[in-house]
Amino acid sequence: MSLVERRPVCALRNVSKRFGSISACQDISIELFAGEAVALAGENGAGKSTTAKCLYGFHSPTTGHVEVDGREMTFRSPRDGEAAGIVMIPQELDLFPELSIVENMFMGQQRPRTRFGTFDWRAMKKTAREILARLGLRLDVSQPVHLLSAANCKLIEIARALNRNARVIIMDEPTAALTDREVRRLLSIVRDLKKNGVAIVYITHRLDEIFDVCDRIVVLRDGSLVDDGPVSDFTEGSLVKKMVGRPLESLFTHSPHPIGDVALEVVGLTSEPAFRDISFQVRKGEILGISGLIGAGRSELANALFGLRAYAAGTIAVNERRVRINSVADAFRLGIAYLPEERRSQGLILPFSIQHNITLASLKRFTRLGIVSERGEADFARKAATDFTVSGARIDAAVSVLSGGNQQKVLIAKTLARNPEIIILDEPTRGVDVGAKSEIYRIIDDLARRGCAVILISSELNEVLAMSDRILVMREGVAVRTFERSEFSPEAIGAAAAGQKVLSNVA
Amino acid sequence: MSLDAGSETRTVDFAADDVPQWRSILSWPAAPSIIFLVVATLGVGMVTDGFLTIANLRSILEQAVLISIVALAVNQVILSGEIDVSTGSLLAVCAFVFGNTANVVGGAWLPLLAALAAGGTVGLLNGFLSTYGRVPSIITTLGMLFILRGAVLLGGGAQVLNMAPESRIFGQGMIAGIPVTILIAACLFLVMEIVSRHIIWARNAIAIGGNESAARTLGLPIRKTRLIAFVLSGLCCGLAAAVFLGQIGQLQATAATGFELKVIAAVVLGGTSIRGGKGSNVSPVVGAVLVGVILNAMTLNRVPGTYELLVLGSLILGAVSFEGVRQKLLTRGH
Amino acid sequence: MNARSLSMDRFRVNRSMVLALIFIIQIAVTSLLVPGYFDIRGLLDATRSFSEAGLIALGMTLVIITGGIDLSVGALLALVSVTIGFSYQAGLPLWAASLAGVGVGTLGGLFNGAFITYFRLHPLVVTLGTFALFRGIAYAVSDANAVSGFPDWFSLFGQTTLGWFPLQFLFLCLFVVIFWVVLSRSAFGRYVYAVGHNEVAARFAGISTNSVLLAVYTLNGFLVGLAGLIYTSRIASARGNAGLGLELTVIAMVVLGGTKITGGSGTIVGTMMGILILSYLQDGLTFAGVRADWGLIFIGVFLILGVFVNEVFRERSR
Repeated sequence: MSLVERRPVCALRNVSKRFGSISACQDISIELFAGEAVALAGENGAGKSTTAKCLYGFHSPTTGHVEVDGREMTFRSPRDGEAAGIVMIPQELDLFPELSIVENMFMGQQRPRTRFGTFDWRAMKKTAREILARLGLRLDVSQPVHLLSAANCKLIEIARALNRNARVIIMDEPTAALTDREVRRLLSIVRDLKKNGVAIVYITHRLDEIFDVCDRIVVLRDGSLVDDGPVSDFTEGSLVKKMVGRPLESLFTHSPHPIGDVALEVVGLTSEPAFRDISFQVRKGEILGISGLIGAGRSELANALFGLRAYAAGTIAVNERRVRINSVADAFRLGIAYLPEERRSQGLILPFSIQHNITLASLKRFTRLGIVSERGEADFARKAATDFTVSGARIDAAVSVLSGGNQQKVLIAKTLARNPEIIILDEPTRGVDVGAKSEIYRIIDDLARRGCAVILISSELNEVLAMSDRILVMREGVAVRTFERSEFSPEAIGAAAAGQKVLSNVA
Repeated sequence: MSLDAGSETRTVDFAADDVPQWRSILSWPAAPSIIFLVVATLGVGMVTDGFLTIANLRSILEQAVLISIVALAVNQVILSGEIDVSTGSLLAVCAFVFGNTANVVGGAWLPLLAALAAGGTVGLLNGFLSTYGRVPSIITTLGMLFILRGAVLLGGGAQVLNMAPESRIFGQGMIAGIPVTILIAACLFLVMEIVSRHIIWARNAIAIGGNESAARTLGLPIRKTRLIAFVLSGLCCGLAAAVFLGQIGQLQATAATGFELKVIAAVVLGGTSIRGGKGSNVSPVVGAVLVGVILNAMTLNRVPGTYELLVLGSLILGAVSFEGVRQKLLTRGH
Repeated sequence: MNARSLSMDRFRVNRSMVLALIFIIQIAVTSLLVPGYFDIRGLLDATRSFSEAGLIALGMTLVIITGGIDLSVGALLALVSVTIGFSYQAGLPLWAASLAGVGVGTLGGLFNGAFITYFRLHPLVVTLGTFALFRGIAYAVSDANAVSGFPDWFSLFGQTTLGWFPLQFLFLCLFVVIFWVVLSRSAFGRYVYAVGHNEVAARFAGISTNSVLLAVYTLNGFLVGLAGLIYTSRIASARGNAGLGLELTVIAMVVLGGTKITGGSGTIVGTMMGILILSYLQDGLTFAGVRADWGLIFIGVFLILGVFVNEVFRERSR
């Protein structure tokens, strides 16, 4: 810590961002200094992404502003942010696959020209090679980017940011798709960047990386800033506690329910490169939570159990009978249902009415000779909407007019319309307001009480700790450990998901 | 800003992810087409008499020239993620403008200017409707294909216009032993190559076709770029009209019917991906020669002209299916 | 929130009413401008010529709702016609030749669908290829010749009337009803809309999107087969250049009816209105003695205009 008064390179001052009636982040103030790496930590939905997007110009803040070198700035697009020296490296690769490395690096930028007025490709290639060399890469910069590995593509994106003379680089889950060795290389690059005066914003769930390479940690929770301090002030345990907050006991419902026979047994299930050798059991009436970070392979596992993803090895047994699940129809026949992760793009058909959404997966029930009985369907949908307390519109209104929480309830109604016995829920309360959340927890508990086998995939530690009977933790495609309810603790689960040794007796 | 030499990264072991040279070359969009062209030419030459003569090869190139002139521009349209199927009718319209202007004022340069103006204007209209007008380009150019053909049939009717020799300079004669038509195509190719490498518009076009959302994030002018591609397409139809009339010497209302298919076939066979973002200027030229070779082979083998459409259709289907399969094989599953 | 859903309904009602109004105005204007046009018998007679395009427009509606397009229908019609004519000429009994024709149409649609689903290619590109391929085969088989000399009873389809109505118009109406039921009341219709809106979500709901797409294109081909049969019967001749420009007319009809080219929305009622407006436009032009080439221009203009207006409306309704 320096005694000299340093001026931040850039800062967010009281930034809030609302989307309609939903507030994504409130009153965020963060200062970024040159040569410092700040971790932006928090659970899914905490507002990390939105905050970062305000910083580099993808969103304009509803209130508050961004400052660069002490001057207030208005960014109308990422281009403005880039001109001010703030660049974002997104989680998903954002390159032009058919173009060469050097073309990618200079796209959208001022290119050096020769005295004839033509582009000076020789100079550009030289610059590209130099930047890559400093990142530890020696490649032919004329080759198309789609031939490179994912890790090197990530480095090309960093090279692109450096080429734009970025003073602030925001990295969103940079190590999500990388092997251990590639992660180490990336972290050493981050250290070099810091040495050269670049300010880094490091968004990640991986606690070990935060403690490895970051100088400060900013913790967000439910859209608000809850802590901002040097890394030495935190331990993994205290950080997790800050991210997760104190669980509101009344929010969750976990009533005692009888646990029956094994409904689903999975042994050695493998589907490269997403997951391998996964084994677990779920009993009737039991809620198995599956915890893990992004890239752990949980949704891919769910997809395989639902027939949307092929698996190369392993066995699945439903109610003690060996089965093969090759299609969604197979899964349906076996009584398996899946609530997908992305409600808007995977789960609902937004222009369809609430009624039509609820019955989309179970139309056969109301169909005779191919024709749908509108009355039967409407009765069912109305009852389902009431049962799941969907409010905000009549059932013949388009589902897009509903709030996030109500949309999620419609999706749940749709998933349960076939009376499944094995239900896989993937992030069921993501992007859902508190009131709807507690209603959804009641529904989940009810399912278990009625004897369904429930698999709850969730990144929210609070949720998974409160609702599950057992928790399976996955990391980078393997099943790390299964916890019984007596062994539950946020530190232990968080550590298993991130790959740390479990530290005991943390405050 | 740079990272200094004492960087820590040097000490970390990295996997030299360098791709072998042959693989890099094979991933050129035009590579399989060039191979196919060579194989096809040799194959046909072995089987058909009279194919591998200088005179015949030159006549193939003359045919290919007309297609390449337009294909070079349509290539840019497709690279940027759109499509243009109006070129056949547009060529006829431009030919009409050229022919009638030549009839009135004689010469060749003023009619050329008029043809370029006509082509550019229609191209501008196509572009506006397809970008700012938000009408999908297949609809705009398909509609335009018929509108223009109707206009030509109405305006020209049964009229058959003969061109004076002085107006045919773009399609006949030689300069320094090389046919004028081939020179024109070669010059256009060179110009397009220079544009592609050194003009911002062209670099943006191929990026926009390759990854539109990334292009938007970078702030590239998507609509303006595509608009310019359509204008270029129209201009090249104007130029091609001048060459066409020079070659044929006669103007009819049914001129260049079905030409647009040959152009698309040339672009696609040459290796440019129909989805956009992938291709070079070599592709349409190689493709045009390939189409020329195949059509010539058909003629020499006395295959009736009625089979031409069949062959073109099969080629287009074959090329896009091949491209679809190749995509899966070459990409490493990002 | 309820208000928004209500306004969507109002908008849909409005569009059909606007189209009906346009139709009435169009007939009125034509009748005023062209003496002798307004004759019930004549107007009904006009339905002969558009029943083929109308049939195909029904299938095309489904295709476009799924977000695809089929540019090969005109060429396929020619292939169907040529199949009927030339297999009859080769000795096949006419009923068998007719069946073969319809079969060829269905196979053509299946071919399109298979290429699109199996190779995962864009329908635009595939049908652009088959647009040339089918026409090419038709030309090759017919060798630019035409077949005529069909027995009189063959013209049953094309040239008889039942009371006041030409037979093929009643046939068209029958199919309109069938398709209306399928699209708006059946599970399959629901799936078609679902695939058009959001293919991923449809798959998550257990809908086999490949089967839906395959079915839609094959159905379209089947309709082309029927249309080809009616066409051949009507003009009593089988030629390789039948149906030139037909795809444009059909797509224009569908688009005018309010079906968005990007998929997800569209109704049979709307398509029916599009069929009526466009067909009577062409009929009016022919009756007034306007050259056929104007027809090409009009269709092209209406096609572009139709899509353009749809896009403008879409922006408004957001």
